[in-house]
Amino acid sequence: MDVLSGWWDDYFWGAVVVGQVFICSLGLMIIFGLFGAMAKLSNNRVAQKIAGAYTVIFRGTPEILVILLLYFGSAITLTAIAQIFSPEIKFVDVPPFWAGTIAISIIVGSYATETFRGAFLGVNPGSIEAARALGMSDLQTFIYVRIPEMWRLALPPFGNHMLSLIKDTALISIIGLNETMFVAKQAITVTGKPFTMYIVVGAIYLGFSTIITLAVMGIEKFGERTTVGAK
Amino acid sequence: MSFDLNLIAESLPMMLMGIGITFKLLIISGFLGLTLAIFLLLMRISGRWYLSFPAQVYIYVFRGTPILVQIFIIYYGLPQFETVRDSIFWPILREPMGCAILALTLNTGAYVSEILRGGVLGVSKGILEAGSALGMSVRQKFIYLTAPIAARLALPAYSNDVISLLKSTALASTITIADMTGIARTIVADTYAPYEIFISLAIVYMIFTFGIQKLFGVIERYLGRYTQREG
Amino acid sequence: MSTSDAQPLIQMQGVNKFFGSFQALKNINLEVRKGERIVVCGPSGSGKSTMIRCINRLEDHNDGHIIIDGKELTDQVKDINAVRREVGMVFQSFNLFPHMTIVKNLMLAQQLVRKIPKAEARETAMHYLKRVKIPEQAEKYPIALSGGQQQRVAIARALCMKPEIMLFDEPTSALDPEMINEVLEVMVDLAKEGMTMICVTHEMGFARSVADRIIFMDEGEIVEEAAPAQFFDNPKSERTKKFLSQILSH
Repeated sequence: MDVLSGWWDDYFWGAVVVGQVFICSLGLMIIFGLFGAMAKLSNNRVAQKIAGAYTVIFRGTPEILVILLLYFGSAITLTAIAQIFSPEIKFVDVPPFWAGTIAISIIVGSYATETFRGAFLGVNPGSIEAARALGMSDLQTFIYVRIPEMWRLALPPFGNHMLSLIKDTALISIIGLNETMFVAKQAITVTGKPFTMYIVVGAIYLGFSTIITLAVMGIEKFGERTTVGAK
Repeated sequence: MSFDLNLIAESLPMMLMGIGITFKLLIISGFLGLTLAIFLLLMRISGRWYLSFPAQVYIYVFRGTPILVQIFIIYYGLPQFETVRDSIFWPILREPMGCAILALTLNTGAYVSEILRGGVLGVSKGILEAGSALGMSVRQKFIYLTAPIAARLALPAYSNDVISLLKSTALASTITIADMTGIARTIVADTYAPYEIFISLAIVYMIFTFGIQKLFGVIERYLGRYTQREG
Repeated sequence: MSTSDAQPLIQMQGVNKFFGSFQALKNINLEVRKGERIVVCGPSGSGKSTMIRCINRLEDHNDGHIIIDGKELTDQVKDINAVRREVGMVFQSFNLFPHMTIVKNLMLAQQLVRKIPKAEARETAMHYLKRVKIPEQAEKYPIALSGGQQQRVAIARALCMKPEIMLFDEPTSALDPEMINEVLEVMVDLAKEGMTMICVTHEMGFARSVADRIIFMDEGEIVEEAAPAQFFDNPKSERTKKFLSQILSH
């Protein structure tokens, strides 16, 4: 593995970028998913329609198109706006990090919308009635009864959404984010060993996937403590 | 900044010229992937560790790494080895199309095999016991009981995977293939009009997604006619 | 058939069965002669289902011998299938094949296992559907039938294989009360025709009128074995008395 010496640092920082994209997009994805689910479950027809269109559009469009559109589209829009104020500006773009992060959170958020919607609907109405009967406010019921119950239902598919996110980060290299794919490309031009360099990328992603899978299993086990009967 | 409808009218026919390649990728990899998935499934449920363990590792690796990395390892990576270049597979692996089909097949095979396994696990134990009690052999039970029931159970998840595969075909554009996305990217590079081009292409993909959903809806109703009380 | 009256059709000798460390069957000894009708009862978890499931090897036993019509049940697949061909089984939850029409349910194993041509298999299927009084349902899927009808189909399906022995594992427990009788009637008819039967059931009326012998099981053991009259009117064991008082009190 001599060819790899000298590249470990770059791969490490590439992996750090992957991790950063993942963390940021995870937060955004949850927000998109929750808003989508609440809009679908609301009584507001307009909100329902918008959320419906959101899920249809982003579940039916290739991820790469969304990323390219968001990156190049936002660059064009921003440049046009900037030129209003100072015409000598040639080009403004959103950093690939944020264009990519936002793109993959929107995409996976559309899947999370359905997951959260299903989980909200799956909450036992008896629990909610019981909470009301005990005099809990709507907010209290939401925080102490609905969220914890729906969370347990949503967790297994949510784990898959996290895996989608981490794998989608690789696509952001297409718009020039300097993550592990990008590092591999540089390393290949120097060493001429594409297989070795991309296998390392694969191994890094497999590591991320494993960590996420184990974490979800751990959380699931923790969540199950209320559903497993006393021994 | 404006939305140029003329440009769409001009570019859409050009992008649709890539439809054949998109379909070729979808149908060939879909078919080969399903075949691979069935093999992996049989290995997993064989009850022999030396078959089920490799299948499990395969599924784990291919589901745990990004499809883009898999495409790059096959297209850019494999030619690193002389044995690959001298092998009988070189005519396939030399061509971007062959590599894309191979990568998509290997990837979708892993996912579909898990979907099929879910279907097999969903077949109730009692039905198989009834088969045993009637003297049916393990093979007969699999062919006449498990397979048809599991196929029906797995169908909704399978249709989602076909849609995922359609979206993944767009990644073929990253290895120089002129599918619809590949052509769109070329046009955008020339015209610098990402909104018009990418949005109209996204709509084309959504129409296909919709078509796939409808098609599977019909198949589901046909295969699932025994689940309706009337009829 | 090789069975003479002298040799029992079913012999269980010193059968033990474990699920992990839990002993489900303890030293079971049972002989059933041709034409005998046995009812097995006992509290839930007493091992009665496990016992009859061992007879056609849906469960395998750990020690002892099970000999069906002169063939001992071993790990040999051939022997198991030979035995299963002679032993029909009816389950609590019917277990019809949901993706096949009723008549196909009855034809499948005939064609696959007994290698009977399609037309003849269909004829046999219709014959037994008439016997359980639902020939008009032949082309429907199981889901369209009531529980009682499904269970009658399940009985017909087992009979199509021309078994020597019929095992019933709580055939009426999953049924609504108004459907229990239509299934019991079919079972009574079968008994009248001289079928060798082992029934796990809590239908004590059926047991009293049809059984030659009643076997009471508790905690994996056969506690008591007696003719119906003696079993109900003069049980020997305290455990039997307790069980009878519990199920007959309501």
